[in-house]
Amino acid sequence: MLALDGVHAYYGNSHVLHGVSLRVDKGEVVCLLGRNGAGKTTTVLSIMGYLAPRPGRIEYDGKSVAGFAPHRMAKMGFGFVPQERGIFPSLTVEENLTVAARHGTDGRWTLERAYDLFPRLKERRRNLGFQLSGGEQQMLSIARALMLNPRIILLDEPSEGLAPMIVEEIVGVLRSLKGEGLAILLIEQNLRVALDLGDRHYVLSKGEVRFTGSSAELEHNEHVLSEYLSV
Amino acid sequence: MTTGSPPSPRTTAIWIACIVALGLVPLTGTYVTGLAAEILIFAIFAMSLDLLIGYTGLMSFGHAAFFGVSTYTMVILGVHLGWSGWIGFAAGVAMSTIAAFVIGFFAIRVSGIPFLMITMAFAQLLMSISVKWRSVTGGTDGLSGFQRPTLFGLSLENRVTQYYVVLVGFLLVLFFLRRLIASPLGSIFIGIKENEQRMLAAGYPVQRFKLIAFTLAGALAGIGGGLYGLHNAFVSSDILHWSLSGDAIIMVILGGAGTIIGPIFGSAAFLLLKNVVSSHTHYWLLWVGTIFILCVMFLPQGLWGFLRQRFGRRPPP
Repeated sequence: MLALDGVHAYYGNSHVLHGVSLRVDKGEVVCLLGRNGAGKTTTVLSIMGYLAPRPGRIEYDGKSVAGFAPHRMAKMGFGFVPQERGIFPSLTVEENLTVAARHGTDGRWTLERAYDLFPRLKERRRNLGFQLSGGEQQMLSIARALMLNPRIILLDEPSEGLAPMIVEEIVGVLRSLKGEGLAILLIEQNLRVALDLGDRHYVLSKGEVRFTGSSAELEHNEHVLSEYLSV
Repeated sequence: MTTGSPPSPRTTAIWIACIVALGLVPLTGTYVTGLAAEILIFAIFAMSLDLLIGYTGLMSFGHAAFFGVSTYTMVILGVHLGWSGWIGFAAGVAMSTIAAFVIGFFAIRVSGIPFLMITMAFAQLLMSISVKWRSVTGGTDGLSGFQRPTLFGLSLENRVTQYYVVLVGFLLVLFFLRRLIASPLGSIFIGIKENEQRMLAAGYPVQRFKLIAFTLAGALAGIGGGLYGLHNAFVSSDILHWSLSGDAIIMVILGGAGTIIGPIFGSAAFLLLKNVVSSHTHYWLLWVGTIFILCVMFLPQGLWGFLRQRFGRRPPP
């Protein structure tokens, strides 16, 4: 469904990604792991089209989408949940959702379904974005990405800085999304969450893929765990 | 803005009281009525700029262009071709809209300081045309001799008729902007201001929506400019000067950006200072400047933000 082949990325003159290749198939949860600065976020930003196109191929359903602007990627079925969540502080929870709800390919996702998934958001629907807790913001950010009716969703560290109970809730939601056949590319620092949810894993270090494999393979690869994941 | 909840009876009562009070202004005599009309005209101008500064996050420093183009169009058509002021008004708003679309088309490619400089440069360009093209615009001496039109047999030469025409225009712009901000399109503008990257991820071609906001703001400024033409029956190149764009920014920030209502207070405070203080001292701008600095330091939400915090039941967002 989504395939990267030898993707490079730069910030100014600094060369951040050195030929990253990866693949996400339909209905699959793929995790991107690695230490801070390994290039995980850069990979996702490259896919979404936030960075200027550089050498390397990005294909979606067999068609090249390298260099497409973020709003085109969104319309083609990419949901994006950025690390900083990006809630609109002076819109209400409901407006945050409806502002995203205008470009769907089918319309599987409605306000009611988003509220069913996160009942907490329904309680707070008239609250303004800046009044939400970190966990509520993360839920809203995920719900807002779903309102676009994506076929694949890219999440950048959704569990970061959240209480264990909230993390559990979000993991539960991601699992049910996976059950519906949504493809997920997940950046995750929390190894337990990644092993639990992921079908396959890519471990990045210094902008290169150092390991690819299933949860079982990753769990038993002491070298990769200690060398690249500081466990 | 919290949408969906109907206004409380108290809020409705305040609105009605304010509109009635505005309707009664002509009882106070021609001087006050003329000043009030000017305040409302510049309130339209400042509110239209608030759509850019306060809602879409575009700091335009050339907003006088759209105000002035409209006034010039109306007065030129009236003086040189003898066209009715009403046709001139419509033509003026149309010209402002076109000017805003064209200038916006180039300006929205950049943001921040470059955006500010480009909008200012375009406005200055229009001003130099108005200065140089003396045969049409009258240059710095201006163009006088505009005949104000009539409405239902009432001449707009009369200050009271003028005032009511301005009041109607003001209320239409005010309610239009409030509806706009509460609409999905308004949410898109706010979204662009608060997180442009995220709006891209939500599938919005952000540039296109910035151009829509810029063009709309230009059209609304054109309504203000047209009413100014009807009110003053005179135009000179001062109306395109960058200092008028600066005045509008001061009105927006003084009153409270991102509130629609705030710039009305900003316009009133600015023009009252200008009229009252300037009759006592030449250095009225010194006072405007001092008050502006104090306001920015101590009332970051502007006059309206302060009033709402003080007397409202909800803290402003």
